[in-house]
Amino acid sequence: MGVSILVETMTRTEKPAESPAGQEEDVLNRLVAEHQRQVYSLALRLTGNAAAADDITQETFISAWRHLKGFRGESSLKTWLLRIAANKVRSYWRWKKLRSWVGLGTRDEDGEGAALEDLLPDDPAGRPEQAALAADLERRVQKAINLLPTRQREVAVLRAQGLALAEIGAALGMAEGTVKAHWFEARRKLEVSLGEYL
Amino acid sequence: MKDEEKEERLVSLLAARRSEAFWAAQRARITAGALQKSGPARAWLLAPAAAAAALLIVLLAKPRLPVPAPETVVSTAFLEHLDLLDDMDVLEAVSEEEL
Repeated sequence: MGVSILVETMTRTEKPAESPAGQEEDVLNRLVAEHQRQVYSLALRLTGNAAAADDITQETFISAWRHLKGFRGESSLKTWLLRIAANKVRSYWRWKKLRSWVGLGTRDEDGEGAALEDLLPDDPAGRPEQAALAADLERRVQKAINLLPTRQREVAVLRAQGLALAEIGAALGMAEGTVKAHWFEARRKLEVSLGEYL
Repeated sequence: MKDEEKEERLVSLLAARRSEAFWAAQRARITAGALQKSGPARAWLLAPAAAAAALLIVLLAKPRLPVPAPETVVSTAFLEHLDLLDDMDVLEAVSEEEL
């Protein structure tokens, strides 16, 4: 599936933009709007770093856009994007390990945690208690995820984006049975950590 | 609570909650970045020419050192190796003609 097919698919039901460039921009905008929450959630939960998650989300869409011709449509667009994002997260951790190995590991802690104003769906200025509760929940969830081993974390985060076990297996290069076992174990641990919110 | 409901609730907890303004700003950054990077996609065509030009500049900018006369080279080499000689008697044993 190339850009032209995607453009055709995504513009079928709506009025197309005037120029091909404008049309492409419109398609890209809608592609991002449709999937950015899932890609960002995955990156944030797997890195625990808001700035890194933002960078990974941006790089994922840019890579996907540039390699759209290579997308054969064997998996859904969402699975493909999440696989790209998961690979970028793995690169992030490799890079981080390398940095710490050469003694530069403490620099990028600044992106950890989220700004309070980002945690509420609208203006938090009038609702500071809710902002504080949301921030607390965010920290608890992230802490619970960080406690999981890497594979369980990857499986749990992809599962949280609505992927089926077989799709997760395809994205991470694992057998479906292995994914199932990881999900079972991750879920059990998360339920213990976040029991009060369930 | 049913098992599916519990799983659904757990899954919703794992989603990142951000304001609409955050998503809109991120979308704008991504679109700008993707279109900017995909714009000069054929820039690689200029890469060989750019590499050749850079090489030429480096070669032309390299200062040309004056080529020393052959006899200067020999005496320089000899003097550079003097410190390797532990016994100064060796020097004395070399005739002036050989030097």
